[in-house]
Amino acid sequence: MKKVELLSKYGLMAFLATGLFLASCDNDDDEVVPEEENEEEVITDVKLIFTPRGGSGTVVEAMAEDEDGDGEGGLIVQNAITLDTSMTYDLTFEILNSLESPAEDIGEEIDEEKDEHQFFFSFSNNVFANPTGDGNIDANGGSEVNYNDSDGNGKPVGLQTSWTTSNTVVSGQSFTVRLVHEPNKDSNNAAGTGETDFEVTFVLNVQ
Amino acid sequence: MSLMYGKYIEQCLYQCSSDFGVRIVLFILIMIFYSKVSYAQSKDSCNYELNGTVLDEDTKGPLAFVLIKIKDTDQSTITGFDGRFQFYQLCEPNNTLILSCYGYCDTACEQHHKHGKTPHIYLKKQVNVLDEVTIEVEKPEDLGTGSIAKEEITKEELNENPFQTLASAIADVNGVTFTSNGGNVQLPVIHGLYGNRVLILNNGLKHGFQNWGTDHAPEIDVMSADRITIVKGAAGVRYGPDALAGAIIVEGDPLHLNEPFKASVGTGYQTNGRGYFGNGEFGEGFKNWSYHVGGSYNRVGDLNTPDYSLTNSGKIEYGANAGLRYKIENLDVNVYYSYVSQNLGIYRTALVSTGESLSNAINAEKPIFIEPFSYDISEPNQVIDHHLGRVEADWWYSDHSKLTFRYGRQLNRRDEFDVRRNEEKPIINLDLITNDYQLEWKHPDWKKLDGVIGVQAFTQNSDNNPGTGTTPFIPNYNILRYSTYIIETLEKNQNTYELGLRYDYENSNVRGRETNQDIFRDQYEFSSFTASAGLTKRYSDHTTFRSNLGMGWRPPNMAELYSFGQHGFKIQYGLLRYYYDDEGAVRTNRVTQLANANIGAERGYKWINEWESDRKTGTYTVTAYAHYIENFIYDRPFALRGTIRGPMPLFIFEQSDATFLGTDITWQRSLNETLQGTLSVNYLWSRNVERAEPLINQPPVTMAYELKWNEANLSIFKESVFKIRPSYTFQQFQAPRTVTPLELIEGSVEIKNDSEIFDFQDAPNGYFLIELGWHFKIGAFETGISIQNLLNSRYRNYLNEMRYFVDEPGINVLFTTKYMFNSKPNTR
Repeated sequence: MKKVELLSKYGLMAFLATGLFLASCDNDDDEVVPEEENEEEVITDVKLIFTPRGGSGTVVEAMAEDEDGDGEGGLIVQNAITLDTSMTYDLTFEILNSLESPAEDIGEEIDEEKDEHQFFFSFSNNVFANPTGDGNIDANGGSEVNYNDSDGNGKPVGLQTSWTTSNTVVSGQSFTVRLVHEPNKDSNNAAGTGETDFEVTFVLNVQ
Repeated sequence: MSLMYGKYIEQCLYQCSSDFGVRIVLFILIMIFYSKVSYAQSKDSCNYELNGTVLDEDTKGPLAFVLIKIKDTDQSTITGFDGRFQFYQLCEPNNTLILSCYGYCDTACEQHHKHGKTPHIYLKKQVNVLDEVTIEVEKPEDLGTGSIAKEEITKEELNENPFQTLASAIADVNGVTFTSNGGNVQLPVIHGLYGNRVLILNNGLKHGFQNWGTDHAPEIDVMSADRITIVKGAAGVRYGPDALAGAIIVEGDPLHLNEPFKASVGTGYQTNGRGYFGNGEFGEGFKNWSYHVGGSYNRVGDLNTPDYSLTNSGKIEYGANAGLRYKIENLDVNVYYSYVSQNLGIYRTALVSTGESLSNAINAEKPIFIEPFSYDISEPNQVIDHHLGRVEADWWYSDHSKLTFRYGRQLNRRDEFDVRRNEEKPIINLDLITNDYQLEWKHPDWKKLDGVIGVQAFTQNSDNNPGTGTTPFIPNYNILRYSTYIIETLEKNQNTYELGLRYDYENSNVRGRETNQDIFRDQYEFSSFTASAGLTKRYSDHTTFRSNLGMGWRPPNMAELYSFGQHGFKIQYGLLRYYYDDEGAVRTNRVTQLANANIGAERGYKWINEWESDRKTGTYTVTAYAHYIENFIYDRPFALRGTIRGPMPLFIFEQSDATFLGTDITWQRSLNETLQGTLSVNYLWSRNVERAEPLINQPPVTMAYELKWNEANLSIFKESVFKIRPSYTFQQFQAPRTVTPLELIEGSVEIKNDSEIFDFQDAPNGYFLIELGWHFKIGAFETGISIQNLLNSRYRNYLNEMRYFVDEPGINVLFTTKYMFNSKPNTR
């Protein structure tokens, strides 16, 4: 009986003390700020650099940018691609994340992970003398593109491609570049596999 | 939880010993605070009824000729051949029973009460001393929700499908369904509402998880639950702000004392996804302590629709739980721990990036990305660990009153991975720590009022772990909430009246980063009263009417306020992350402080009525409800946002006033002694009344008929239950208009801030499904075979966010079996 009485008398206090003890063990209410992150995934600027072969002619650059990533500002294609007739160009890229300061060169990263990336192209039919056709973005493989580089497995990448214009003057045509991450390079429809890192369409003129 | 009369029992022991000599006596104190079935009361105040069954603890067989007396009265009775007894015209709802019969004694189990069943009293063979036994008929969780329609799922029902999520386990309850993001992430929906409007009470604690969006499901191992109760009305007074639309109460093993050792192992296989499963549990109850330990593992590979494989739809889940209860005198301490680990695949096909491919994916019969079956889970996926620890102490400091203290701590670690160049790094990496302190006083009856008064403190701390290589999608935050509540019930004639009032104060501190890595901070408070009033009216033994008017509220969650950027297949802007400029276009160049924004807490008023008629010929339950919610927050498609990856669907959160009206009808009819049919229909009408437009993602009308055939003995199969359940889900007739991605790309439809809500795709067609099941026992094996989607129907579910891209899984044959080890005699 004594035990019961004692428990009744001191039980409540013990009970509340336990609660307070447990409550006081709490030290996880520190108010930390998320650490600064490098936006490694974001591509804000894509610049196409057409360098004419053979020393003559001018380098042609075309640029598209999406300055605030997922924010309100959409993609802005800065200028058209205007190439000379009957000229062979090597196409290279400058791909940046300018949310970082200084801007991060995503092109380097793609170069390091060549086997996981491929550039695909689509353009107005027969606007080039070489390659002919309308590019390799179409569902069933489309026409060939002249890749000048390859990954460790001998598969094309597209950081370097070559393009020869015909002698016909055209204007208001289109030229689309799609960079795909983890494409199935063996697929007939390689451009439709994997995830698109970017897809930009430019106006193409040949004059 | 239990109650003893220390002094009285001692006196009684002497008395009984001398009176009965070697005869065996049991004292049983029955506490009935709020039991809906165990007694019935009519006009005359001396008209309580009490009935029950006395069983042999070992054989579970009925015990006849047990003498039962009611203390302090001259009433007594003797159990029949079936062990049943019944008392009429009792003057008190709480009675002490004295049981006696030769050859049995020493102990009895606590009452294993479940709704709809009478108390069972277990007697143990032993000719020895006398003992006292406490029977718990009390369901403390009922307080404050007694007048609200609710349903319960038992362990047996949960065992039928060990692969399912919490949400799908309760989805057959009328008025309940789930919203999902593929097959692995499913959130319960009660009367059209989900997320932070449905509170999930995990072993007495608000489940502390990243509860935002449709792609985060509660990490609860259904196999660890002993019972799940679904409360379909506003239960905020009892459970806090999140229970605006209802509550889902998950309880682990009840840890009964005086229970013989029990153990079981189970396994299962399902054909769709080639899933396999194993679990085991054991437990034992002694005189003053008991324990229970359980664990489970399940793994499922890629699921199949009737036509193709859902690539990356597999999952791996495992969990463990342990409970320990210790009772000393009138203090009852209960400790519980559970751990759940999940690796959930998210359908790969949902990742589309260009406007063309989005348009193609949405219109495609088949998803673009299909790979052969695999158990592998690759990106995108979610990897989650959830720890829950809880200590609960009930202190019955006097006969009719107790203090309950509960402390709980939960740690939720969530890593989400996406297909990207740095896919080994999580794109979301969050740690959430939740603390709960609850103190509740069940006061002694005062002027016939029975009630509880409680205080609670609740804290949450969520932090982004560095190294994701992306700006945090939601900020770091700390939430601190203090609450106090009072709930009183009054029994008068056949009626129960219930009133509750609660006050919550919540303080939030937020720290986040904008995409340029600038820091933003905010600190804000919400506080509100919550109230509820309810009535349970018993017209007769067969007919009950319940009515409850509940007010509830909840502050907006972090994702609704602050989410920003790409998440899954969409870009998402939270309420404070965008505003409209003068031309009605969306701007995102600043983060608005909450104090400067026109954003309020959601406030709901739910009136729910239930008419229940329970007769031999059939049971009818009709539930009707009206729910008005001010400042209802919803996520809606808004545009295609041109990004360097191509156009992506942009979703924004909006806030508006909404109304929900609905009914759930269940009609159960026994066709003969072994055949029982149940028809259930539910209907919900909802509308954004402020903007006079439909709401998106509301459950469509569904109808189901379940035919059950119970056959006790069918050659070697014992207790066979055959089940066939055809159901039809109608097309959502209230869906918003459709604006296709192509129309948005071409600009043929322009969307501004005041444009009517739209969806990218028409609501899917209605569909007809059939489910078959057969459960039986052979010896110590409990076995079940069931077939889901028997017709292998091709369909899409309007509440699945993946409906834009893929069909639902096709036919699935599920096999489960469980071996129960023979209970051995209780050695003490």
